[in-house]
Amino acid sequence: MIVVNGLRKRFGSQTALDGMTFSVEPGQVTGFVGPNGAGKSTTMRVILGLDAPDAGTALVGGRPYRSLSRPLCHLGSLLDAGALQPGRTARNHLLWLAHSQGLPGRRVDEVLERAGLQGVARRAAGGFSLGMRQRLGIAAALLGDPPALMLDEPFNGMDPEGIIWMRRHLRGLAAEGRAVLVSSHLMSELQDTADHVVVAGRGRVIADTNIAALLESAGAGRVTLRADAASIDAAAGVLTAAGAVVTRADARTLAITGLAAEAVVSLLTSHAVPFAEVSSHRATLEEAYLELTRDAVEFRAASSPSSSEVTR
Amino acid sequence: MSTALAVVAPSLRTRRTGLRYLHAEWTKLRTAPETVWLVVGIVVATVAVSVLVAANMPCDTAVCGGDPTKTGLTGVQLGQALVAILAVFAVGGEYGTGMIHGTLAAMPRRAGVLAAKALVVTCVVAPAAAVAVTASALLGRHFLPGAAGLPAVLRATGGTVLYLLLIGLLAIGVTAIVRNAAAAVGVVLALLFLFPILAAAAPDPHWERHLLQIGPMTAGLAVQATTGLDKLPIGPWAGLGVTAAWAFGALLVGAVLLELRDA
Repeated sequence: MIVVNGLRKRFGSQTALDGMTFSVEPGQVTGFVGPNGAGKSTTMRVILGLDAPDAGTALVGGRPYRSLSRPLCHLGSLLDAGALQPGRTARNHLLWLAHSQGLPGRRVDEVLERAGLQGVARRAAGGFSLGMRQRLGIAAALLGDPPALMLDEPFNGMDPEGIIWMRRHLRGLAAEGRAVLVSSHLMSELQDTADHVVVAGRGRVIADTNIAALLESAGAGRVTLRADAASIDAAAGVLTAAGAVVTRADARTLAITGLAAEAVVSLLTSHAVPFAEVSSHRATLEEAYLELTRDAVEFRAASSPSSSEVTR
Repeated sequence: MSTALAVVAPSLRTRRTGLRYLHAEWTKLRTAPETVWLVVGIVVATVAVSVLVAANMPCDTAVCGGDPTKTGLTGVQLGQALVAILAVFAVGGEYGTGMIHGTLAAMPRRAGVLAAKALVVTCVVAPAAAVAVTASALLGRHFLPGAAGLPAVLRATGGTVLYLLLIGLLAIGVTAIVRNAAAAVGVVLALLFLFPILAAAAPDPHWERHLLQIGPMTAGLAVQATTGLDKLPIGPWAGLGVTAAWAFGALLVGAVLLELRDA
């Protein structure tokens, strides 16, 4: 639906895009993840024809965006929810967009209702909270009933209720068969939302993978053990002797890799070491993301200034 | 038949695209809260200043204030600033908020967007300018008797309305070039008022005349003169032509830059 191929773009001495290549398929939510400065927003601006790439192509439904006669009927986008004139009402903001595509005012009322904004349609958008502006942005993206949607950091500044609304909405749009591309600098925001993830760093793709497969590979073989302070040293000794890699998380907790939970239980039982709890670990998307990016040394160097955001 | 269709279809599509762009830009201008106040402001400011100047003009000779028709239209000097602000907002307001990205994502033919903006601003300024200039001229006649013949007065008033439309176009072009509302207002006012100031400071009458001939305001407002036409630095219609050259030149440069630069 959206195909990005070999995009390169420099701003002065800064390389923003360095061969960015990926595609967004219909019927699923594709997460577009990476630290700030990885080139996510620039890629989206190139897809929309706002920035011209130095090399490479970006196609929407097989065509360059700027050649589309009624582009909002091919790709709906939300780059910056705050980018509207504050004195205009929500309805009038959508109305000029509708008129630009030859769509009737009726369509405006439909998307206002879908975004849950009927009640505030005639209020000036300048007085909207960020969450309401994001909803207005979603309504604008849906105006042309496009088969593809592209949202830049839609979770930014949203309250928990808004995040849940946005997640459910994105899932619903993908379930309708649309291709949905959602960028975020926080992998955790995409948990339970994205089906596929494209990880960007320094202007190129460093991973392009299915979320389910990613979680499975990242979660394998990690076990947490909780025991009394008195027996924790004995437990660590037994497990290390059996070939596991054991790290002390705190005075009563061990993190174990290299042994399955069942093996840990039978080893400790046979050595008569008492323990409180053994749990098999399911990786979070964020951990999977860190594991995925661990090898990309370049990427780590690039992301270190914002690593606090990544691991938060 | 099919070749004819192949030729006609794209031009039809272009025309439909143009109408959509006009519709969108008209909706935008109509629903921007400042538009109505600026339109009212153009009329009020132009008429008020014209009346103030005309009513206070000493009238001890048969022909009041040298050129009564021109004096009666003095308020245009202020009205043009409000026309410029209205036009600057129509483009620059979008750069200030970032909404220009939404505009260009919805309407990727950028020169077409600028043309649509120019047309709708002209359609809004035209009635305001016509009312303001006509009212100023009629009130001016009341305060300052001894106006010139009808053809000259009609040329002065009609030309002044056209002048105001051209200032709007100049402001749109300049804003597309500088992409910032405050800077655009500054540049437009500088273009208007710098030439008469420089001319006044020019050491040599030859230079003074040339500066008045090329300034968008000094040349364009020659169209208001009804007396002493032979002493004008530039003829009334030629002067308006200079303003038109500034306006369309700015629009052209703005359109080219809009197409070439990253938004």
